[in-house]
Amino acid sequence: MQETEEIWAGWMRAALAGDGQAYARFLRAVTPVLRGIVRARARWMSGDDQEDIVQEVLLAIHRKRDTWSPDRPIRPWLFAVTRHKVIDAFRKRGGEATQPLGDQAEQVVDPHAEAHLQAQEASEELDALIGTLDPEAAELVRALKLREESPESVARAMSISEGALRVRLHRAMKRLEQIGRSGLP
Amino acid sequence: MKTDDLIAQLAHEPAAASLGLPRVAAGFLAAVTVPVAAFLLIAGVRAGLGEVMIHPVTLMKTLLPALTAAFALTGVLRLMRPEGQVGLLMAALAIPLLGGIGLLLYTVATMPPAQWFAQWTVLGIIECTGLTLMLSAVPAIAAVRLFRRGASPAPQRSAMLAGIAAGAAASTGYSFFCTQDNPMFFVIWYGASIATVTLVTLHYGRKQFAW
Repeated sequence: MQETEEIWAGWMRAALAGDGQAYARFLRAVTPVLRGIVRARARWMSGDDQEDIVQEVLLAIHRKRDTWSPDRPIRPWLFAVTRHKVIDAFRKRGGEATQPLGDQAEQVVDPHAEAHLQAQEASEELDALIGTLDPEAAELVRALKLREESPESVARAMSISEGALRVRLHRAMKRLEQIGRSGLP
Repeated sequence: MKTDDLIAQLAHEPAAASLGLPRVAAGFLAAVTVPVAAFLLIAGVRAGLGEVMIHPVTLMKTLLPALTAAFALTGVLRLMRPEGQVGLLMAALAIPLLGGIGLLLYTVATMPPAQWFAQWTVLGIIECTGLTLMLSAVPAIAAVRLFRRGASPAPQRSAMLAGIAAGAAASTGYSFFCTQDNPMFFVIWYGASIATVTLVTLHYGRKQFAW
């Protein structure tokens, strides 16, 4: 999570300084996260409607990008914009279709559900980043960093020494850092 | 339009400079200072301003609206960022409000009833509320125009705080001219002016803060 925070903030800083490519990378990187949030909260909507909301959120991020301060973390800003626009989109659609929001609306404004969803989104996003590694390195990072398994058990399962495990983990983390810098493929 | 095409289109648009909150605050303070200074230059400050300001009750006439304006301005600035929160500041606005109520109780306790409303003359009330509302107009318009550039997570609250900031700042400036030092007068009529500016700003400004 710390890695994506730094990567996203770096891209956004560059974007505010006029780097269009960094901005495109940032928007492409956050889009799957936004999609996840919208899907989780609007299962009752069609895929096209969900994508319309994702685009509305992207437009809001674009229009209000000057409200992010480069010396502040980007994730709270991003999730605040997303939350506001998703609620707004639900209200508009609820009004148009006279469809009650019910549990979905409660889920949107429930801080516990919000925290749970953010954690889930962050995990999905990190998993996508890890998925760009080769399968063995990806499994190693997942086991040690996500599932928090002990190095001994992972080394045993992979039939390698703990020293070799540390070296492979170090290489995988360096690779992730490089992918983060250059942007997701 | 496909999302990828939208992203490509957005990435080609010119960069946006980061929103400078100190610059926004300076713009608002200028919108308050210019009309108030112009008014005080034309009408003049009250006679013996320095001497009467030593008196704590008279000092409160300036201090309470100034404190209200400061809290409201800080709050509306904080709400320009979507992740901004103002829970504590909203609670802090109760401090000048309680100060005003305290002054009213002090007046009731220390003044004979015949003097409570002695300064409530039609001319005095019209002068006080009329001039305060007049001085609030430019700051209120400027507040809406300046603060709507943010991305408030609570547009109505932003509009309300913008109105409070404008009305209270104008009342602070007016207090240098005002000679009515009875809290029964200034707490109630300054309060009524600030409330009026707040309601008008909330009514006309809340849609401006939507995004």
